[in-house]
This record gives sequence, structure tokens and C-alpha cells, in this order.
Amino acid sequence: MLGQLKYAVKYVLGLDHAGNNYTVFPDDTFLVSYPKSGNTWVRFLLANLIHPNETVGFANINRLLPAPGVLSKRFLKKLPRPRIMKSHEPFDVRFRKVIYLVRDPRDVAVSEYHFDLKKRYIESDVSLEQFVKRFLAGETSSYGSWWEHAASWIAARNGNPAFLLVRYEDLLSDPIAETAKIAEFLGIQAGPERLQAAVERSSADRMRKLEKQQGGQWTGTRNTRQEIPFVRAAKSGGWKEALPTHSVEEIEVAWAPLMNFLGYQLQTQELDSKTIPAWVRMGQPL
Amino acid sequence: MARIGVGKHLAAGVKRGLGLHTPGKSLVILPDDIFLVSFPKSGNTWTRFLLANLRFPDEPATWANIDRLIPDPTGTTKRDFDRMPRPRIIKSHECFDPRYPRVINIVRDPRDVVVSQYHYHRKIKKIADDSPIETFVARFLAGETCPHGSWGQNVLTWIATSEGSPRYLRLRYEDMVADTPRELRKIVAFLGFNTTPEQIAQAVERSSADRMRKLEKEHPDQHGLMRGSRKDLTFVRAAGSGGWHKDLPVPMVEKIEAAWGPIMRHLGYKLSTQAPSEAPDYESLGIFSGSTRQ
Repeated sequence: MLGQLKYAVKYVLGLDHAGNNYTVFPDDTFLVSYPKSGNTWVRFLLANLIHPNETVGFANINRLLPAPGVLSKRFLKKLPRPRIMKSHEPFDVRFRKVIYLVRDPRDVAVSEYHFDLKKRYIESDVSLEQFVKRFLAGETSSYGSWWEHAASWIAARNGNPAFLLVRYEDLLSDPIAETAKIAEFLGIQAGPERLQAAVERSSADRMRKLEKQQGGQWTGTRNTRQEIPFVRAAKSGGWKEALPTHSVEEIEVAWAPLMNFLGYQLQTQELDSKTIPAWVRMGQPL
Repeated sequence: MARIGVGKHLAAGVKRGLGLHTPGKSLVILPDDIFLVSFPKSGNTWTRFLLANLRFPDEPATWANIDRLIPDPTGTTKRDFDRMPRPRIIKSHECFDPRYPRVINIVRDPRDVVVSQYHYHRKIKKIADDSPIETFVARFLAGETCPHGSWGQNVLTWIATSEGSPRYLRLRYEDMVADTPRELRKIVAFLGFNTTPEQIAQAVERSSADRMRKLEKEHPDQHGLMRGSRKDLTFVRAAGSGGWHKDLPVPMVEKIEAAWGPIMRHLGYKLSTQAPSEAPDYESLGIFSGSTRQ
């Protein structure tokens, strides 16, 4: 009862955490991805691009590129519009304009494993192989499985002009070109210098340094195991060394069509293009 | 903020304190919850009656108790949610949501859905009586007639994520109309309920279009779906399938089939026009045969 009362008071004052229940405006843009797919990196990129005069770090990223779930409704309402916010939600029809960031699920699995160890979501004696089984079943995340997440967004929106599909791997191999694409999608006029600056200020090295200084000031890293960093390898293809072959096979057997569609080369499976689900190519109108 | 706004806001706060608000997206989902999901106007209310009558044989479903028996996150209070016997069967019109532990997904031919929604929007005075169906179809295709996406989007998010999953059962409204006991048996098997043929027959009887029409006539303002709506139009309308042949102008049929032909064919709805489609052909692609999600 006391808890309910406290919630009621918070609600009246607009101080309750928005969670899933916040107002989405038609001019909002969302940076959406499955967890551990480069979302924080792109948040830094965008924050640096949009606020060239601010020093972007972990201490202020929640304000500069907000994560609605952990902020109050009042804060969200007062943000200048159009707002750009981050999200890990699977398809949400209220999100009109979306940058969808996707990453090779084999790397996502490895990254999430380390993150969950850091967060103490899993015990240190859980093996990567055990983790992958739960990862495939969508049990390691409240946002569904990687397949469900990517499939729901791509099925509903692929081909829509208000949907920009960005691969983490492309962002790594040519960050300037991919950031330019995102800037254009957002209608931000950014010359080569501004792009270059945003990329440099969001480099893995710089983010590692910032994590050391400000890790305690950010919801993502506060009270986590300090010997495991949040900014880890920051590269692609790490799964080739880290993942047992058996786990690679399990992931590819389960998700081959979508991985193939996204250009992630399969190592253990043959796939001809005819098995690409048609919904992947259908490009639904909004 | 105007004074009236503050008052309303405070009242909402008090409601929250007492659990009398509807939880909406903040609904806490329990691991044994069952969700009855469909795009609007696809037989969701009928199926709610069927399931309520099956699950609670001692309390025949009516417009007055349906929100308590098969609750709706946007129409049932949090308090009623908290008091429900488990497993709860919950109504939803949402697109794919990974938090739903078990899903019964009802789909209906979009050509019938659009006609049904057109009439419903006239009934609830969302559109004028003489509003042309052509305008409505254009908005329907663009997903502007309800907050749950377009028909194609809504249906596709479920197909793409959940087809083949043991936690997902899809039924067609048309099959339910053709043989209700048979389809209800599928639901019973999916949920693992112990139900006799007599109980199924009773649920079908108590949820018949005639009974639902009679209940609607007796208490036309008992449910949020029709409170304050026009009384010359009914909520329970034809309760059949294929009405679009007569009610939907051919150019409108063409537009719907051009937009969603592949999805319709996948669900077994025969296309009637040779409308050129931007989407690739399902059959020749071996659609979903390669889809092997967990």
C-alpha cells in the first residue's frame, strides 16, 4: 500500500520512471538495436555530432541521447523536439522514424556473455556454450531473441524511407561514411570536419578512458564488476576465436536466413538465396 | 496548466494509488499468461466470449463482465488484473511482443477487416455516416485507422517472429466461423486445458452471434467498445466471412491485394484480382520453409 501511494505521488509529480509507458511524439527519432550491438557507441557518435560544443561522456549521455526507460516522464516531456532517443525495444509501432542498428549475432552472443558477467546477471562459472543456448531461446534478454528483434523490425519496416538499417560492422570499417549516412537521415548538415570530430570523440580508446573516469556515474556500469570493462574489444569477428564451433553451428542453424540476408557469412551452413524469407524483402508501407 | 488539468491529473494519481487505473503498457506479465492477440475487427471479442465461457462455465460471459473474465490492459483496472485466477487469458491488439509467454493469434481476411472497421468507425462516430469507403481504405492501408499498425505490419510482425514456435497458435477467423468447435479444440489442446465436448458445445452456444446480439440489444452501453456510440448500428454485425465481395469496390480490393498479396496468400486468402504486386511471390520463394527460429 505504501509503495502504491509513493507511486501515486511520483506519478502526479511526473517523477515516475517512464519505463514503457511514455508518450511518443510523431517527430521522435529512435536509435534502436538489440542489446550489445553498438548502441552506446552510436549514442556517443550522435551526441558528439549533434552537440559539438559539449564534452560527451558516460556522465551526461543519458541527458544528451536519452534512454527513456530510465528517465522520468517529466524530463522526457521537457526535452527539446524533435527528440532523438535510444531504445532496445523490438518493433514498436509508435516509433515512426528509426535508425536500426544490427550486429552479427555470433558477436552479439560473445559480447552479451561478457556484459552479463560484468553485471552479475550470470555466475562466473556459466560457460559461453551454456550461455549461447539460452541466448538462442531469447532467455538472456527481456527484449526477445536476436531473431525476434531483428525480424520484427525488418518485417514491419524494411524499405520504408523512415527506416535506416545500419550494420555495426560497416560502422566499424568505415565510420565516417556510415555516420554521414546517419546524419543525412537525421537531416543534420555535417561537413567532413564535424564528422571526423564526432568519430574521434567516440573512439573506443576515448570511450575506454571515459569509462575509467565516469563508470560510476552511468546506469550501464554503476555497481558492476570493475575488472570486466564495458567497452571491450569494439571490433567484429571476435566470435571466430571466442565461440566454440558447436555454438556457431547452433546459431547458424537457427538463424541462417536472416543472417544471410544481412550479409553475415555462414561458416557451418550452406544457404541458397531462395530460402530468404519473403517478408524480409517485402518492404511494408507504414 | 489549467486548473481543470491539475484536477484531472490529481484524480489520475489517486486512481493509481488505489489500482483503479488501466495498466496499459505497464502491465506486469506473468510467466503463465496467455495472450489472445489480433488486429482489431478480426474476431477478438467473439473469441474472448468463447474463451470466457470455456474457462468460467459458472459465469456466462456478458458485455458487463467480459473485461474482468478476459481482461484488456487498456480496459481493465490493475486491481482486477491482480485479482484474476491464473493462468490469465488477456486480450491484446498489439504487434509482436516478446514478453507474451503464450499467444493465440487470430487473423482475418483484410478485405473483410476493412469493411468491418469502416462500419465500426461509423458506429462510434469516428467517421461521418457518408464518409466514402475509398478514403477509409487508403487510411487503412497506411495504418492510420488504429494505433496498432497497419493490418500487414501487425500480422507480419507475428508471422516473422513466431511462426513455428510451440508457444504460438494462429487461427483464421474464417475457419472459426466454418467450424467453431474444431478450432476451439485446437485452442484447448494448445493451452493444455481439460475440456469435455459438452463444455465446448456450451461455450460455442453461449458465444453465438445471436446471443451476443441479444446481450448487446439489452445493454447497449455496458461496454467501452460501444458506450456512447450510435444505436442504429450494431457492434455485432454480420459475424460472417466474405462480405467484402459485395461491400468492397473492386479498385479497393485491388489496392489491398497489391499491398499485402504475399501475406494474404501465405495465410491462405485467395486473391481475386491480378493486381500487380511490388512484393515477390511467396510460393516461388519457398516462404518460411527456411524459417527455423527456436
